[in-house]
Amino acid sequence: MKRIAHEANKAAIGVAALSMLVAMGPGAATRAAGAATPPVLQSEMAGVTPFAGLSAHDVAYSGMDGITDGGVRIINGDSGGLVASVYSSQYANFAWAPDGKTLYISETYWALGNRGTREDVLSIYGGPTLANEGEITLPGRLISDPKTHSFVLSADGHYAYNYSFQPAPAVTVVDLRARKVVDSVEIPGCGLVFPFGQRGFASLCADGSLAVSDASAQGKYSVHRTKRFFDVMTDPVMDESIGDPASGLALFITYDGWVHPVHLADTPKFDKPWSIEQAAGLSPATSHVGQITWRPGGQVPAAYERSRGRLFVLMHEGPPWSFEKAGTEIWVLDARTHRLLHRWAVPESAYLVAVTQDAHPLLFALSHKWLWVMSPESGAVLRATQIVTPALVGVRGE
Amino acid sequence: MNRLDNWGERVTRRLAGRLSRRSALSRLGALLVAAPAFPLLPVQRARAADAAAPAQKGTDFSHAAQTHDDTACNYWRYCGIDGNLCSCCGGSTHSCPPGSQPSPTSWIGSCINPDDQRAYLIAYRDCCGPNECNQCSCLNTDHAMPIYRPQANNHIIWCFGTQSFEYHCSMAVLVGLAE
Repeated sequence: MKRIAHEANKAAIGVAALSMLVAMGPGAATRAAGAATPPVLQSEMAGVTPFAGLSAHDVAYSGMDGITDGGVRIINGDSGGLVASVYSSQYANFAWAPDGKTLYISETYWALGNRGTREDVLSIYGGPTLANEGEITLPGRLISDPKTHSFVLSADGHYAYNYSFQPAPAVTVVDLRARKVVDSVEIPGCGLVFPFGQRGFASLCADGSLAVSDASAQGKYSVHRTKRFFDVMTDPVMDESIGDPASGLALFITYDGWVHPVHLADTPKFDKPWSIEQAAGLSPATSHVGQITWRPGGQVPAAYERSRGRLFVLMHEGPPWSFEKAGTEIWVLDARTHRLLHRWAVPESAYLVAVTQDAHPLLFALSHKWLWVMSPESGAVLRATQIVTPALVGVRGE
Repeated sequence: MNRLDNWGERVTRRLAGRLSRRSALSRLGALLVAAPAFPLLPVQRARAADAAAPAQKGTDFSHAAQTHDDTACNYWRYCGIDGNLCSCCGGSTHSCPPGSQPSPTSWIGSCINPDDQRAYLIAYRDCCGPNECNQCSCLNTDHAMPIYRPQANNHIIWCFGTQSFEYHCSMAVLVGLAE
């Protein structure tokens, strides 16, 4: 199609060029003949660059709330260049299908912008150009500063779990293959979603326990509570803890830097908690007033490299309850042996961290204006790219 | 709904002014202001401990707080605020700017007044409708809880029950003593 158009337009371009020379006067034609004649530029057809899917070194991030426009943007970590962008509402969440080719966005619109009929939808983008492929209407969703675990997929990408708070807490289960809502599971006193198994998910609860929801063979969900495993009043587990739907491993990280490894299942297995600060040879952080020490913090303060069991945590020096303060260092920990491997300084205090899941991983640190691409082995800054204020971040295979 | 909200707020203020330290009724007061729209909903109720926790020795925030400038992030009532201060947007600590509407729901914090070293219940209520004010943006997290404990969470857009869910700014309404 492009070649035909090119040939057909050649004559028209020639006529246009001759007309310009005539219009410029007799001297212009002579000057043009005396110089090396550049090739005639080829005509073009406007199109869309193909999208092959989220690559192993791509990182996707969403814009933040009502100050910055929403949207999901994809940056290639090897080049630092922008690969693609997709529209979203404010306070949207996103998740990628396991093959990285389909993007799901949980978002909310009103008919008249800030008022009128509300519509909560799960928007679908994919195909060869990452185009919109329709929406699934949701019965509700949480509107807040975005949280990674308020919209997540099952490991096989069959189901999406959408946390809803209106303000009754519930999880909407969406069959992505059938493209329909199949259930809404009430989880009173609990929130967020950490998937496990085929259709199971766990939610953190306000009393320090987990609510475990799983479906029967007939697809009917039941919910039960576990024991309390953390003290929510003095040292709560962060919303942005680590969940691995494929293995069911969750690393629940507290404000003071305690890591609670939990193997999610119908009957979860709770491993002994360990302290990030102790792994670094320091005394554990506490909630005692005036204790300035290293603590985890930020919007998305931790990332987990599954194959090697490495935990990357944004750390800062601060008092208790400073859990949203940006990190000045990234601590690299072996989550299996509870050892500190490295402490990398970040060029600018970072609020989000991510790591790719391939054999040659890249580490990403995001401030409110910059994406820093780093080596997870040496901590070297490989490149930097300017970004809009980020809310959430994701890589392929998470 | 507004009448119910107003009644709830009046009752809560009255109770907060009369109650003894850590009484069971002050727990009820926190609950009423936190969620006048919640009684029928399965949200776990606020515990007085949420609000009363920092009352003893002060907090890291209260040690650096001041009581004279309500357009600054370290104003004492803002110990748990996340967002734009309504005081910088045409409103005040307890009134929404013109063009916006106060949400009947809120979350509850407890802040220490450096002048008397006493802890007060603060209702962080959002004003809703206009675009985000984007003035005096503050992020204070003193005893702010994760989102799975919503009654003490400052990330949720608390615009339930208003004509618009568009977040504009946040107030810090004094409810009464938390002790």
